[in-house]
Amino acid sequence: MRVAKDVVKLVSPRTVLKEIADAIPIDCRENIIIIGSLAAGFYFFGDDAALMVRTKDADCLLSPRVRAVPAGIAITERLFEAKWTFRADQEWPEPGKSTTADERLPAVRLNPPGTADWFIELLTVPDSSSDRKQNWFRLHTSYGDFGLCSFRFLALVNYDPILTPLGIKIARPELMALANLLEHPEVRPEPMSGLIGGREIKRSSKDLGRVLAIARLSIRQNEDTLLAWPAQWQRAMQARFPKDWRDSARRAGAGLRRLLGQPNDLEEARHSCASGLLALMPPTVEQLRITGRRLLADAIEPLERLAVK
Amino acid sequence: MKPNLSDDRSRAEIGYEPDGRWKNNLWVEVKSETHGFRDLRASFLGLAYWLTTVPNDHGLLVLVDSRIADKRLRQEWQFAKMALHPDVMRRLNVAVAKKHQYIGLPEELGDDFRLWLDQLVLEHSQSTRPRESFYVILEVLMHQWLLGQGPMTTDWIMKTVGCSYPTVRDALRRLDYCLQRHSDRKVELNRFPREEWARLVAVSDKVRSTTRFVDRSNQPRSPESLLRRLQRLGRNDLAVGGVWGARHYQPDIDLVGNPRLDLCLYCPDKRVDWSFVEQVDPALETTKLRDESPALVVHLIHRAVSLFQTNKDGLPWADPVECLLDLHEAHLETQARDFLNTFPAAKGGT
Repeated sequence: MRVAKDVVKLVSPRTVLKEIADAIPIDCRENIIIIGSLAAGFYFFGDDAALMVRTKDADCLLSPRVRAVPAGIAITERLFEAKWTFRADQEWPEPGKSTTADERLPAVRLNPPGTADWFIELLTVPDSSSDRKQNWFRLHTSYGDFGLCSFRFLALVNYDPILTPLGIKIARPELMALANLLEHPEVRPEPMSGLIGGREIKRSSKDLGRVLAIARLSIRQNEDTLLAWPAQWQRAMQARFPKDWRDSARRAGAGLRRLLGQPNDLEEARHSCASGLLALMPPTVEQLRITGRRLLADAIEPLERLAVK
Repeated sequence: MKPNLSDDRSRAEIGYEPDGRWKNNLWVEVKSETHGFRDLRASFLGLAYWLTTVPNDHGLLVLVDSRIADKRLRQEWQFAKMALHPDVMRRLNVAVAKKHQYIGLPEELGDDFRLWLDQLVLEHSQSTRPRESFYVILEVLMHQWLLGQGPMTTDWIMKTVGCSYPTVRDALRRLDYCLQRHSDRKVELNRFPREEWARLVAVSDKVRSTTRFVDRSNQPRSPESLLRRLQRLGRNDLAVGGVWGARHYQPDIDLVGNPRLDLCLYCPDKRVDWSFVEQVDPALETTKLRDESPALVVHLIHRAVSLFQTNKDGLPWADPVECLLDLHEAHLETQARDFLNTFPAAKGGT
């Protein structure tokens, strides 16, 4: 029986980002973009090292695809040399071997020296704009073999990343939000592998909740900021999916609309937000629903209209 | 031959349209102080005719302060059931309003509908109509006086307000103490009608059917943001009043900050299109609590002519009398007095 453990911890985005930046070989830094809650946390709270967000991992996107495997190998080797440790779990108790099938390889998930509060995970972008499925690429290192995973919509989050003063890039929050919207055209039943804030949460609720958290934090910075998102989304989608961006854009709001219409799922999303990016200012379900309606009105519906022009 | 009533032309041929429409598919007819069966049956039939033109919609007849007994009402309902097509009857409901309580409202309509219905009932309440007309006439006279537009004919007032000659005649009689009557039968105010104005300020909520909206997101948008979003809608039946409106007429007036956005919504046929509120901000909800600070306040303009001022690159401006009432309503009394005194006609006489 799988026993889920609570996986999110309070970490300082600035501290974690600095630790990663210091640990990554200099010649690999241009190939790495921090994505996920850590990137969003740094974007919104990075000025204050004392501000913490709840997260379990630091997702690192390696790109371009052609540089991802050599950069992934170099980074993995370097981190092991610096005493980072493989984060074993029941399913993947140790690194893979050269005989392990690609799809059975563990991801590069490494804890920094001296703490198990968070871990780094390496990911990459798809091979091409038509590559729609999840793929695994082998990283053969002297510490074992690992898999480098790619998802279709990760191609969006390496568009126009932000270079931080720490010398490492982070993804734009609005593009992470778009990737999550497109990844979840419905609220699927699969739960997260670990507990979040003591509860089992659907992955879709958590990822769409992240979209709402990013929207809420963005509004906090600038009340009209969502109005600028459709144009930015269109540019990124046209660059990454030149042939079929309109099809994707027309479906961008489907999952969110379903989430807003399902009270239990929206409550899960609220819980996930309150256990993550919005831990310092947890919203009510109703407030989160309003954020969703604002996002639909300001960004998603205009994008849908751009897609049919 | 079966009539084809599914187009707008056929609707026009019915010669009737219900008083209000809730969320696209519920048509509401309000009958105030209907005590006789003839009026009741006419209302049933009118609404039933209407429902034949909108096959998926529902109808609700609301009887306000009617003396028809419940038992007789149920009998009438049974007669209607026998006489009218079952598909129409299935979509038709009747509710009774007495002392601000509703009996027979479908439960699923919820509190928002009740607030909306309160407003609709108020607009169609017999008891408010004469008073409303008087104050609308007062507003028009004030408008002409403040802007130095000179005397006006009774006919012009009737057309501007959208009321009958006796209504204007009675109002002018009541205002005689502050009127100047000219030899060509034109009239104009000759001084500030202090007492009537004070009464108007006291009842302006009812006269203007004021609706307040508060933010429920805990991330309130500024009035400036609401205004920018409103401008994108390009509606010409909405005009900016309040502090912005006052500044439009008197740019030098000392009004710092915009605590809220005041709008006037022009709806001479009393059909109110509230869709702009959701478009401006989905976080806005109506409130009846006076201790909640509204982000948006909307006043309805029912007169025949809006008196809005338009400029080519933005939203229309509400007339200065509405702006003045907005300042009073926002408890900006000093600013209201200062604003009034900036008009040459009012200077020193308020």
